[in-house]
Amino acid sequence: MADKDSATIKRDTSSALRGGPATLTPRQRQILVRVLRLAYPHDSFPDGPYERTADAVVEATADDRRLAATLGPDLDMLDTISDGDFLGASDETATLLLREYADEPYFRQIRGVAVVALYDDREVWELLGYEGPSFDQGGYLHRGFDDLDWLPEARITEYDGEPRTELRDVEEQR
Amino acid sequence: MSTHGNPIPLDEPVVVVIGSGAGGGTVAHDLATEGVKVVVLEAGPYLTADDYTNDEWPAFNQMAWLDMRTTSGSYRVARDFPNLPAWIVKAVGGTTTHWAGATPRFMAHEFAARSTYGEVEGANLLDWPITLEDLEPWYDRAEKAMGSSHRHGRPPMPANNNYTVFANGAERAGYRYYATGPYATNAEPYDGRPATVQDGFNFQGDKSGAKWSTLVREIPRALESGNAELRPLCQAVGITHGSDGRADAVEYLDADGNLHRQAARAVCVAGNSIETPRLLLMSDSPSHPDGLANSSGQVGRNYMRHLTGSAYARFEQPVRMYRGETMAGIIADEAVHDPSRGFVGGYYMETLSLGPAFLASFIEPGSWGREFTRLMDAYANTAGMWLVGEDMPQESNRITLDPDVTDQWGLPAPHVHFDDHPNDIAMRRHAYRAADTVYRAAGAVGVHHTPPYPATHNLGTCRMAADAADGPLNEWGQAHDVPNLFVADGSVMTTGGAANPTLTIVALAMRQADHVRELLRTGEL
Ligand SMILES: Cc1cc2nc3c(=O)[nH]c(=O)nc-3n(C[C@H](O)[C@H](O)[C@H](O)COP(=O)(O)OP(=O)(O)OC[C@H]3O[C@@H](n4cnc5c(N)ncnc54)[C@H](O)[C@@H]3O)c2cc1C
Repeated sequence: MADKDSATIKRDTSSALRGGPATLTPRQRQILVRVLRLAYPHDSFPDGPYERTADAVVEATADDRRLAATLGPDLDMLDTISDGDFLGASDETATLLLREYADEPYFRQIRGVAVVALYDDREVWELLGYEGPSFDQGGYLHRGFDDLDWLPEARITEYDGEPRTELRDVEEQR
Repeated sequence: MSTHGNPIPLDEPVVVVIGSGAGGGTVAHDLATEGVKVVVLEAGPYLTADDYTNDEWPAFNQMAWLDMRTTSGSYRVARDFPNLPAWIVKAVGGTTTHWAGATPRFMAHEFAARSTYGEVEGANLLDWPITLEDLEPWYDRAEKAMGSSHRHGRPPMPANNNYTVFANGAERAGYRYYATGPYATNAEPYDGRPATVQDGFNFQGDKSGAKWSTLVREIPRALESGNAELRPLCQAVGITHGSDGRADAVEYLDADGNLHRQAARAVCVAGNSIETPRLLLMSDSPSHPDGLANSSGQVGRNYMRHLTGSAYARFEQPVRMYRGETMAGIIADEAVHDPSRGFVGGYYMETLSLGPAFLASFIEPGSWGREFTRLMDAYANTAGMWLVGEDMPQESNRITLDPDVTDQWGLPAPHVHFDDHPNDIAMRRHAYRAADTVYRAAGAVGVHHTPPYPATHNLGTCRMAADAADGPLNEWGQAHDVPNLFVADGSVMTTGGAANPTLTIVALAMRQADHVRELLRTGEL
């Protein structure tokens, strides 16, 4: 078991790690939202989904006291390394900075929460063209499960010619 | 403690079935409906169609087995999902509540992997103690029980959009053996259940009842027989035995953590391939120092999870893969043993769809930035397929009891170690190329290769072996060391084959139940 990653593996199911969520300054909060936008850049997304994802990240720090205590200072760090203004840095520069920090536990934890929260957002589903729950609307049986029209109709029965050869050339190759 | 069915006293020695999924649900059904008294212990809650939700994460959190598990090994799951080696359901009906429904049979040579493939370095291959011919009558029964499309007069599933892309690509790439099944969901009403409404939520629990699961078929029928009692939220934590070497009771915890003891005439373990060996390992005793029924030392070893891998292809026009049946599409042309491809065994390609919530977590775990979001931006124009093939059993891929980590009951958490075998890697590479060929032929502008997910197919950790030295179970799934102890889930598989395992699990469970009834009749149990 030597190769367990001690930074990410959960060793304990007890609530010993639980505490209150991080309290971020308005500046830290803005940095967090920018981090999320840079990590998951979608030109078509408004701010709402990123703001809600930031809420989810902050909420999740309640599960981990260490993260709750370090999230704010870690976000300040991004200001420090970008000459005092992470928010003013260009997308390109800021993304490069984040690449440097890709394996930092806090950034990994932010991404771990964000990738779930952002794409579980109803507005995001709509933006991506996903329709969400369908059973209550009778499924897609009469709502386009088979409406693809840019390819010909395909056979749905099994091939009725020769059965497939399951063993090929084994004898010759031995 | 809420129970279902006809109450059975704790001190009445009956057949105790542990787990109510594909294997356990089937054994319980086949025994109870034939007059044998059965207690079913199920660790999870009794949820039914109305409880299910068309929403990926809430459905997952409602039903997945999320108790503590740890992982190690070179496979990516240990890094990406260190506490989630497998997607297994903890609820009545087990993982058949979340399964898709693909039901191919094993091929004849896959029952003789060792003799067909020869010696493969690092692989612990073994021939099954039974042949395809032995299992065929039960395959027929299982297909009828599960209502497999394309079989026994069941009509094919209609094509959804994802299939239309997949099948056109297959045809243009020169493949022939493609179809919308076999697939165990009703294309038309069958067996008292309705036809599919193509809602696209197979993996979240089917609200319509069109999909086969032990929750909708075997469990209710077992309970109606009057011979079974189902105890949900009851987790078996130990199997005890008498001085005669026979299992005599199952100890279990109820929802409040109170310990109970159900007397047993025979015990059938069907907790899926992580919990089953864990339970046997936890049931050690002076006469079974390495775990119950483990004189072979093979309990927990040879853990297989199938090749797996997925391909998501982007097109210029809409696909909307999420509409309709999740996995009603199979290409079987590569499910052959052809060593000239550079590996032994074969694989299937099967249609697959995830919603944005799951796709984001699984398409390329850990990835971020534009390279990631361009995959998500293409969601509506994306088609998906899963690659499922035979992986090599290795002794060192195994379930052990974690010496340091415990679950919520204070019991040792199962630890899953897995390294890919070079054969698995070669096959996966070949399969990704085949997926590229299919999708490019259909006009894809890009194809992303997704690494294996947490395992949905968990196999081999209590394998059947003709010789007791090679594996803990005989050809009936009966322990070589403990004659009234049986295992009825995917862990019995001697090797994994290329096929999705559930049809085979059900067929083997039916065969085992017939054998148990025969042993009861002759007084051997
Ligand atoms: C998303 C998804 C899609 C799938 N699609 C397919 C498919 O298309 N085709 C296919 O063939 N297979 C598919 N599978 C796999 C299929 O679901 C499994 O192969 C099958 O359900 C395994 O059966 P089993 O009896 O081994 O275990 P399960 O069905 O997992 O049942 C085990 C049960 O035992 C219970 N249990 C475990 N330990 C204990 C204990 N100690 N005490 C009491 N109860 C316990 C669990 O809670 C669970 O209910 C899919 C799986 C998933 C997750």
